[in-house]
Amino acid sequence: MTNTESDIETRAVLKDCMAKVAQQRDKQAFAQLFDHFAPLLRAYSLAHEPGSALVADELAQEVMIKVWNKAHTYKPQVAAVNTWVFTLARNCRIDYLRRNGRYCTDIDPTELFNDIEDDQPDPFQAIQQRRAESRVQDGLKQLPTEQSQVLAKVYLEGKSHQEAAQELGLPLGTVKSRVRRALHKLEILVKR
Amino acid sequence: MVEHHPAPELLAAFSAGSLPLGHALCVGVHTEYCNECQVNVQRLNKLGGQFFEDLQPASISENLRDSVFSMLDDTPESEQIIVPTTKQNSDIPRSLRQFIPESYDALPWERVTPSIETAKLCVDTNGARVEMLRIKPGGNIATHTHTGDEFTMVLEGGFSDESGIYLAGDFVFKDGKHKHRPMATKDARCICLSVTDAPIAFTGFFTRWLNPLLKKGHMR
Repeated sequence: MTNTESDIETRAVLKDCMAKVAQQRDKQAFAQLFDHFAPLLRAYSLAHEPGSALVADELAQEVMIKVWNKAHTYKPQVAAVNTWVFTLARNCRIDYLRRNGRYCTDIDPTELFNDIEDDQPDPFQAIQQRRAESRVQDGLKQLPTEQSQVLAKVYLEGKSHQEAAQELGLPLGTVKSRVRRALHKLEILVKR
Repeated sequence: MVEHHPAPELLAAFSAGSLPLGHALCVGVHTEYCNECQVNVQRLNKLGGQFFEDLQPASISENLRDSVFSMLDDTPESEQIIVPTTKQNSDIPRSLRQFIPESYDALPWERVTPSIETAKLCVDTNGARVEMLRIKPGGNIATHTHTGDEFTMVLEGGFSDESGIYLAGDFVFKDGKHKHRPMATKDARCICLSVTDAPIAFTGFFTRWLNPLLKKGHMR
């Protein structure tokens, strides 16, 4: 199975919309991004807090406003738009949990995930990044269910390895090794 | 050259945003030292992006749509001027500057033993203690095991134990199974960031009496 042509086309359209929003403050382009991402953002929030429609609306709104305001910081050569929006949503979720006292801590998460900006992105690295992208896209569909299930718990539901182990009735070591095997199969990590 | 990295599943949990913030802080600091892990986190984010894209879309109300579009003309965040709160040329990793704006030396260090000082940064929700350690050149910590997980990031100098030598930028993970006796390298003091889930337990005959004291310290 390979990336379908329509997927590739969608990604190109979304990148194009991002450029129009960043450079021309184009509201029509933003509407396209909204129609594509807002339903996914609600689904992302519901995966973590099933049944909480209000929280889902709040997260979708906050992230879409960020997309509008931060469009100029998006780097098309480093990541597809869906990856960028995912990182915004992830950070928003962490911040939400912190504000609501569930991560009651003094740690400000905003600095933690900031990539150190490359002044000149290495063209070789950009190619590598794109390759990784299509490998992930194809590879995820081919993972054994037991591996993708654990990864989904971690990425979508935001579960720690311990929580995932409890919910799936597995030893902690098994959860960790399934994640490791999945990452290996997806060839996602640059070798050391 | 950074030699010791977080395990792959730990980097994935970091990228997924599912690590407790104390642990995320440790991994985040490591990525500031380690280009390789930084690239790997970028690649792992793609996995998150793919899961996100494959979600079954949830329906959107007209209200939400109107509300977002009505906010677009407000002053965008990007026009706000960000005032740098710390010196730009600081040696302190960016993600630590929220706790250490000036220098390591300006922290409120407390002496634990003649060769070790600690400075508490914060306590995370899960009870994890986030603190700095300052060890004198050649100073050692009595043999101990961990009753929970311990994440350590070496920021300055280095230390060694039975399993290796760790220098600035290295990430060290120890769990309850590890028993070790770390010692700072002789040429310089060693400064580390440490995140412990539970107090460490000393196993030596002469140091075992310290355990109740340490437990009390962890609660503060």
